Amino acid sequence: MKKLLDQSLRPLVIYAMAVLIVSIPVYFLTINWIWENELDKHHYAIREKLEKRLTSLDLPDSSVASMINVLDKVQPGFSFTQTTAPSPDSSYTLIRFDTFMNDREQFRCLTTDIRVNGTLLRVLIETNMEEIDETILAIAAVTIFFFIVLLAGFVYINRKTSLRVWRPFYETLNSLHAFRLEGGKPAALPASQVTEFTDLNQGLDRLMQASLASYKQQKEFTENASHELQTPLAVVKSKLDLLLQSRSLDQPQMQILEDAYQAINRVTRINKNLLLLAKIEHAQFDNQQNISVAGLLGELSAQFADRFESSSIRYTQQVSEMTLQANPMLLEILLTNLLVNALRYTPAGGSVSVRADQRKLIFQNTGISPLNEQNLFRRFAQASVEHAGSGLGLAIAREICERYNWQITYDFDCGHHHFTVSF
Amino acid sequence: MKILIIEDEPELAADIGAYLSAQDYLCEYAVSWAQAREKVELYRYECILLDLMLPGGDGLDILAILKEQGQQDGVIIISAKNDYENKIRGLHAGADDYLAKPFHLPELAARIYSVIRRRSFANQNNVLQNELKVDLSSRVVTVNGAVVSLTRKELDLLLYFISNKNRVIGKTALAEHLSGDIADMFDNHDFVYAHVKNLKKKLTEAGYGNYLKTIYATGYKWEG
Repeated sequence: MKKLLDQSLRPLVIYAMAVLIVSIPVYFLTINWIWENELDKHHYAIREKLEKRLTSLDLPDSSVASMINVLDKVQPGFSFTQTTAPSPDSSYTLIRFDTFMNDREQFRCLTTDIRVNGTLLRVLIETNMEEIDETILAIAAVTIFFFIVLLAGFVYINRKTSLRVWRPFYETLNSLHAFRLEGGKPAALPASQVTEFTDLNQGLDRLMQASLASYKQQKEFTENASHELQTPLAVVKSKLDLLLQSRSLDQPQMQILEDAYQAINRVTRINKNLLLLAKIEHAQFDNQQNISVAGLLGELSAQFADRFESSSIRYTQQVSEMTLQANPMLLEILLTNLLVNALRYTPAGGSVSVRADQRKLIFQNTGISPLNEQNLFRRFAQASVEHAGSGLGLAIAREICERYNWQITYDFDCGHHHFTVSF
Repeated sequence: MKILIIEDEPELAADIGAYLSAQDYLCEYAVSWAQAREKVELYRYECILLDLMLPGGDGLDILAILKEQGQQDGVIIISAKNDYENKIRGLHAGADDYLAKPFHLPELAARIYSVIRRRSFANQNNVLQNELKVDLSSRVVTVNGAVVSLTRKELDLLLYFISNKNRVIGKTALAEHLSGDIADMFDNHDFVYAHVKNLKKKLTEAGYGNYLKTIYATGYKWEG
């Protein structure tokens, strides 16, 4: 992941670098062109002056020849040769070893003809100039220096101004990180003088409000729907109770009635559990107490004693003193659901046991094959098709565990299901 | 014995009325808060069934009016609110019992029976049916004068049957009565058989008139 501020800096740096790199040959070519142009102009001026001055002296040919000879020997950068046929001028650059400078030097040269008293002379004018490679090096060094200055400036200015400009954005980001749907309140976003940030914050605020509203609505819907169902369920239940009193019922009708009882019982159970889930999600059940797990399990298993007995299931409990800080109702629901789950899925003649292991409570019951662990704790995702529970018992158990940051896990080993709650 | 049913769902009120009327109760109805208030101020009842969410007001206010006036009517709250807090609140306000909807009619009948017995403690301490006698205060059951020793659950069942005399009671209703809230977590109520069988055996051995009948597929009936 890249940071926003670096993002804006990077293209600037790349652009600056590209411009400066391109500028190196451009600078060089320009400087070189100016040099040569200027030197060529200078050479021609010298040639003109030379020709004019030599001609204006109006000397005899022999004197001219000796003067040329002297000039050729004495004047640096000049060499004269006599020629018979005129040839075109030529300007060129030359790099050679210079004996006087005792170094490799670059020269701009002009070879041209001058005519003095009818004698045609070929003149070579040379001017020492900076070597091409040294020029490039110097330009590159200057360019790199300025590039570094530019870069440092960019980074500094970017830090300074961008941080200030984007501060509201980062504040908004931090507020959003802290936002939780379950909290029920939208995050407080900082006020900003900048139109875009104000727009952003308003947009986010609307979004949060809408999410909160639909979250609340969804929770309320479950709760209201369950509440609304209670009364018709009560009516159906009482109608069945009344119908049962009818003297004219034959056996098939009674069987139908019994089936209807079973179904209404199941609907009642689902409805009750949905309500319970909604309440746990609503973060009701706030008060906490120290509860003895062994005591509570003892009470609960006593309630189940009838059922263990009638299904010939052996129940054992090995829980020494263990206390938990929790809401008594929720802990009771959790333990009840795990016991009911164990009881419901244990075949007749099997066994159910609860044991404590440090800060763990392990519910173990006889089983035939492993349950689908993925679906186990999801709502209405029955792990097994053989038994019809409410489909919510384990979902509620997990919801309670999550509330207290307890871990609930399942595994199957040696013909036993294990549900482990780690506190 | 007069019962006032304060319930705004007419179907449910009618069903409760139909069930209770066959039990020799005289039922009156109130479908709104105002009507309920008028009735409790004008008449006395052995037991009042009180719904909490009423058109026009909170059922608990009716209870408050009764307590304010020092009335002795038994009150059973019947409410769709099934949570602990509401139950505690209702019982604190002076209700004798709290029954969450949806409930079985025999359960309601048993609760009413129990409330009325408790209220008229002095003269109605014993339940009598021919050779069978139940002393409610000492919880002793005798058949032809001989004590039958029953477990707590068996006595509970016996009273449940007696309070629903001549009515067919479904297995689920019995299971719910015996194991309370956890009953609706199971589909299998076989354990009810065991308790009924034991109760029947003990009573038969003591020589009672075989009032407890098994009804095909559905449940039981106490005849008397």
